[in-house]
Amino acid sequence: MEYWGVKVSDIFDTMNDRFRPEGAKGVTAKFGYDITGEGKWKIIVSEGLLEVIKTDDISDCVAVMVCDGETFVGINIGKVDAANAFTSGKVKIEGDFGQFGKTAKMFKKYVPKKAAMSTRDYILDMFGTLVSRFQPQNAPQEAVIVYDIGGADGGVWTAYIKDGKCELKEERAEKFTVKLEVQDAKDWVDVMLGKVDAFSLLSAGKAAIVGETQLALKLGEIFKKYQDPMASGTPEQELIVLKKIISVDQKFSTGPVMGKFLNALKEKKILGNKCPKCGRIQLPAREVCAVCRVRVDEWVEVGPKGQVRYMEYVYYASPDPLTGETRETPYGMANILLDGCQGNDTFAHLIRRDQIDRIKGGKDDVSGTRVRPVWNEHRTGSIFDIKYFEIDE
Amino acid sequence: MQKRVAICAVAQIKNDPNLWYARFQNMLLECFEGIMSQTNVTFDMEKGIRTVITCSDDVWDARTISNNGMTDVVGAHFRGEEKMAQESLNGLGYAMASILSGHDDVVLFMGHMKESQPESRNMCTNLAFDPFYCRPLGMDFVNVNAMQARAYMEKAKITEEHLAKVVVRARKNASKNPFARENDPVSEEDVMKSPLLADPLRQLHYYPSTDWAFGMLLCSEERAKEFTDKPVWITGYASCMDSYFLGDKDLTSNFSLKNATERALKKAGIKDIKKDIQLFELCDHAAYQLPMWAEGIGLVNDGYGGRWVDDGGMDEFNVNVSGGMLNGNPLLLGGAARAIECFYQLRGEAGERQVKGAKRALAQSTYGAAGQHQAVVIFEV
Repeated sequence: MEYWGVKVSDIFDTMNDRFRPEGAKGVTAKFGYDITGEGKWKIIVSEGLLEVIKTDDISDCVAVMVCDGETFVGINIGKVDAANAFTSGKVKIEGDFGQFGKTAKMFKKYVPKKAAMSTRDYILDMFGTLVSRFQPQNAPQEAVIVYDIGGADGGVWTAYIKDGKCELKEERAEKFTVKLEVQDAKDWVDVMLGKVDAFSLLSAGKAAIVGETQLALKLGEIFKKYQDPMASGTPEQELIVLKKIISVDQKFSTGPVMGKFLNALKEKKILGNKCPKCGRIQLPAREVCAVCRVRVDEWVEVGPKGQVRYMEYVYYASPDPLTGETRETPYGMANILLDGCQGNDTFAHLIRRDQIDRIKGGKDDVSGTRVRPVWNEHRTGSIFDIKYFEIDE
Repeated sequence: MQKRVAICAVAQIKNDPNLWYARFQNMLLECFEGIMSQTNVTFDMEKGIRTVITCSDDVWDARTISNNGMTDVVGAHFRGEEKMAQESLNGLGYAMASILSGHDDVVLFMGHMKESQPESRNMCTNLAFDPFYCRPLGMDFVNVNAMQARAYMEKAKITEEHLAKVVVRARKNASKNPFARENDPVSEEDVMKSPLLADPLRQLHYYPSTDWAFGMLLCSEERAKEFTDKPVWITGYASCMDSYFLGDKDLTSNFSLKNATERALKKAGIKDIKKDIQLFELCDHAAYQLPMWAEGIGLVNDGYGGRWVDDGGMDEFNVNVSGGMLNGNPLLLGGAARAIECFYQLRGEAGERQVKGAKRALAQSTYGAAGQHQAVVIFEV
C-alpha cells in the first residue's frame, strides 16, 4: 500500500542512507517495527553502524513500535503528528519506551522522491487545465485559437471562445483567429513553465504565429498562468529550517519564602504559609495571599500524608529540565490535599509509577486515594527531596 | 491641549548590582506596598484598581509569559493585567492611553528587571536579532551601539575626553540619589583606561548590569485628588519605531527620536523646549548617547554634541541629574527611572539634587539596537 505516494518499505529501504551515526552515539540496541498488514522490520544499532532487516523475528528487540502503515508513513513524512498518534493510541511502543525515544535522533527526515512528469504529461496537463484557467473578463467576444504542437508528444487543439465561455477540442479548426505553431512540444512546455521566453522561440524559427498576432500576445491574460504541479510554489531548497538550542545560563533566586519551603524538605517537612486574613494555606508558600493582597507570614507544617484530588496520566513527557533526560512514561501527576490543608489548596507531585492505575481523585466530601511521600535519602532542598507519593496502605 | 493623566505616586527599590537574595516577586512586592501605603488606593471593583500594567521581558526572566507568575505581588489577582515587553516608558504611554481612552480611570503600572539573573546580558540582547543573519554575526546591543557610537562621534566631534566627562558626571550626580546603584567613584582617567568592549565603547562607557523594580499609580484628571495633593501630569507622549536592520538607516540621523519628540511636544503644547522645559532625563545606555539624544530632542544642533559637552550643556539644561543609566538602571526600565526622577523633581522632592523651580520635564527612552525605538514623555506640574 502507498500512503501519500510512499510505501512503508520506502521508509525502511532508505534508513541506511538517512542514518546519522552522530545521533546514534552510545546506542547499542535492536529496535523492532510491527507495521500492521505490512510486515515486521528489525534495526540493529551498534557502535555507530546500522543494519535493517525485514524479519518476523523481532522478539529480541528492546522496544517495538506497533502501528498501521498509514500512521507509520504519516509520521515519517510529517503528515501525522507523532505526539497525537501516540496519545490517541495509534502508535504503541512495547518494551523500553525511553530507549525507543533514541531512534528519533538517528535518522534524517525521509523526503519522498517525486516522480518526474514527461513532456507528454505536461502537454496533457496544460490543455487539461486550459478551460479552468480561462479568464472571461480578459477575453475577446469571439475567437478561435489553434494550438499546433509538433513532435511525438504534441497534438492539435482548438480553443473556441464565445460570449465569455471557452471550449477546448482536440481538433484542427480550419477557420481560426490565430494559430500557434510550435515545432517541438518540449519547447512549448518550457515556455509554459517560464523556462524559455516565447519570443526567443519565435525568433529562432522554432515557433510561428499565424493570424492575429495581437491576440496571441494577449494569451497570457486570457488564460491564467499554468502552475507546475511538481512545484510547491516556493522551491524547497529555499525553505531553510535552522535548528538551534537557545541557551543562556541563569541564576534563579528563591527569595526567603520559597527558600524556607525548599529547605524544610531537607528535614522531611512540608511547610505551607497561612493567610492572616482568609486562613488559606498556600503550597508552595508565597510572599502574599493573592486574594487578600496581604503578606503571609505564618508558617504551618502540613501533611505529609494527604488525599489525591486531581490526577493525570502523562504519556508524552517533557524532558527533565535539570538533566535533559526523557521521563519514563506513563507517569502520574497528582494534586494532593495534604492533611491540614483545605479546599483547593493542593500540592502537586508525582505518583509511584506502578500504582497509578489504583489512584482515585476525590471530589467534594468524598476522599481520594490516601497517599504518603517517599523521601529521597539524599535531600538537597529540591522538590525531588520527595521522590513521589505512594498509596498509604 | 488634550486631557491630562496624573501620576499620583511612585515607588521603587534601590538599584542594585545583584539582588541574589530576592526573586523578582520580592522586588515588586516592596514597590506594590509602597504605592498602597502612599495613596490608600483600593482594589474595590467600583472605585479601585481594575487594571494593572506590568513591564518585563521574558528572555531576561527566562520564563514564558513571565507576568503570569507575579500577579499576586502586583495585586492583579482577579483583575485585568497586561504586560508591556518594551521599554518602560512605552509601558507608561500604554497606561496613559488606557486612561485617556476612558477604558479605565485608575491604573497601577509596575515593572521589574533582574539583570543579574542571566549569566550574560549580551546573550540576551543577541536574541533580539533575527536568527539567520544578525544573530550568527554576533550582534548584541553593545557592539551594535559601538557602531553607532563611532559614526556619531565622528559626526559630532566627540572625543574620549567628552565620554569620560559624561560618565564621571553621571556617577557624581548619582551619589546624591538615594535610590541609585552604589558604585565606586571614577575619574576621567579611569574611564579612558577602562577595557574596550567594542571600540570605541569602553566598559565604563556602558551602563552596569543592575536589578531594579518600580511601581506607579496613574489616574484620570478627575480622580487625582482622591490619591494625592500633588499630581504630576503627563501632558504629552509619543513613540517612533525605526528600521530593525541597521543597514536600513543612517545611524546618526536621530530620525525616530526627532519624530517622537515633535509629536510629544505638540501634544503638550510646547514650542521651545529650552525655555519651556527645565529638566531632561535622557537615555544613556552608553555615554555617547547623552549628547546624541540631546541633539535628537533639539537641545543642541545636529553635529554639535561635542561642543555642547564642552560648554557645560548637561548642567545648563539639567540633563540626567538623577545620575542616569550610566550609573545603573536595568535595560527596559531606564525610562521608568527617568520618569520617576521627573516626578520627584517636579514635586520638589529630589533632595540634594533638586532643580529649583522645575515646572516641566522631559523623559526619553530607547529600546532595540542603536536607538531603534524611541519614546518621549512630557511631565508638568
